Amino acid sequence: MKPLNQKADRVLKAAAVDKMDEVRAMQTVTAGCATTFDPGWEVDPFGSVAALCQPMEADLYGCSDPCWWPAQVPDTMVTQPDWDANANSAARDWRALGTVFPGDSNT
Amino acid sequence: MKTFLTGLSLALAGALAPATGAEARDLLVTVARPDNLYVIDAASREVIKDCKIGSEHATPGITVMSPDGHVAYMLLDRWQNVVGVNIDTCERVFFARQSEDKVIRRSIASITVSRDGTRLYTVRNPVRHHADHYEVMEPEFAVFDTAAGLDAKPIAIHPAPRRSTLMAADDTGKVYIAGHDIYAVDPETGETGVAIANASWDRPTYSGPDVLAFWPIGTQNDEFMLLYSAAVFTDEKQEELADFVWGYETVDLKTGATEIKDFASFEVIMFSAVRNPNAPNELYGVYTQLSKHDVGTGELVKRVDLPHTYYVINISSDGKEIYVGGTNDDIGVYDSTTLERIGEIRLPSGGDMSVSTLQIVQSE
Repeated sequence: MKPLNQKADRVLKAAAVDKMDEVRAMQTVTAGCATTFDPGWEVDPFGSVAALCQPMEADLYGCSDPCWWPAQVPDTMVTQPDWDANANSAARDWRALGTVFPGDSNT
Repeated sequence: MKTFLTGLSLALAGALAPATGAEARDLLVTVARPDNLYVIDAASREVIKDCKIGSEHATPGITVMSPDGHVAYMLLDRWQNVVGVNIDTCERVFFARQSEDKVIRRSIASITVSRDGTRLYTVRNPVRHHADHYEVMEPEFAVFDTAAGLDAKPIAIHPAPRRSTLMAADDTGKVYIAGHDIYAVDPETGETGVAIANASWDRPTYSGPDVLAFWPIGTQNDEFMLLYSAAVFTDEKQEELADFVWGYETVDLKTGATEIKDFASFEVIMFSAVRNPNAPNELYGVYTQLSKHDVGTGELVKRVDLPHTYYVINISSDGKEIYVGGTNDDIGVYDSTTLERIGEIRLPSGGDMSVSTLQIVQSE
């Protein structure tokens, strides 16, 4: 048998370290950006884009630090804490932001 | 009572008394990437302290000051740990690691200090990491002794409201938490009540309020003030929109008195706001514009565009200057009468402030 998704892979790993008593059949709760407080925004409250933060780089960390844009940026709270390690200024250093692939997850 | 009397006696002795009078100057305090706590002389626009914090990560930089203005307590390390640094010496004087091995505890801007400076409070949200799943646990109201040093553990833990954000303490000993409502907590017992009805407000012609609460400011006017926006309908059937409004809700931190009031139509976004301590009818709000409102008359006094978006705002003790920060690496200074940009402070690290707080304290 070969796991088809990350959950199944975790179950195999749990069996290998004798942690099957912790395994749940369904993942009922999540954490990190998956439980964020806002679904993210692509339009402003007036239905346009003019009232979004200007420029967007002024808002990049303000939205990724609290997981405000979970779909658009990595989960820096839990799975990708080093995404911004080489970019102290979003406006000047955005080219140095990490590239993220599903297999890179730290959890 | 013992801690209150201890704090009072020290204050009377002058040891903890904030600077007042003509010799006092305003200091701005903020956190920026990668690991810097900045102290800035507001009048001269000069960075006078650049403290390396020694954090794992500067996020989020939510900062509250000790009542004597000497210690900056910062929520850091991806919303987990509390670090206290003496802003005169850059010395780390307090550290509380909130997470432990398999239980991660994050505080979503929930941190404040008691008015006598002896207690630090957080609300933290524990999640236990199991082999294949996360277990969301009950939120905790944690009480720390500020004298506990660099391995501080809670001396008490009470149940806390879920989805808590900002906190503030008042002279009566209550601790306020912004969440679905503005809650008032007795930190001795954990007893929690509603100070200001927010999500549960009884306003039949209003939608629910929308509140953004990341910035524990308001110390200059000694209040716990949040903005809200809401739709107002023509009648209780809520079918026809009459207006979309800004309002403020506030707790007077000397008396515990509360107020909630609309003051303007929703024309631009504001992320944070302060009132003038010398003229509390003047409210200044910031985002991509800087707006000055008269909350007594409901008048928009003036509004100017800013060079870029700023998240956080504060005001000088004399009410003459407005400081806008957060987001990037610069703090803008504005004349509170004309809203003209009269100064700018660049942070030496060049790192973003993001959602960090822009606090202000008085120093001799």
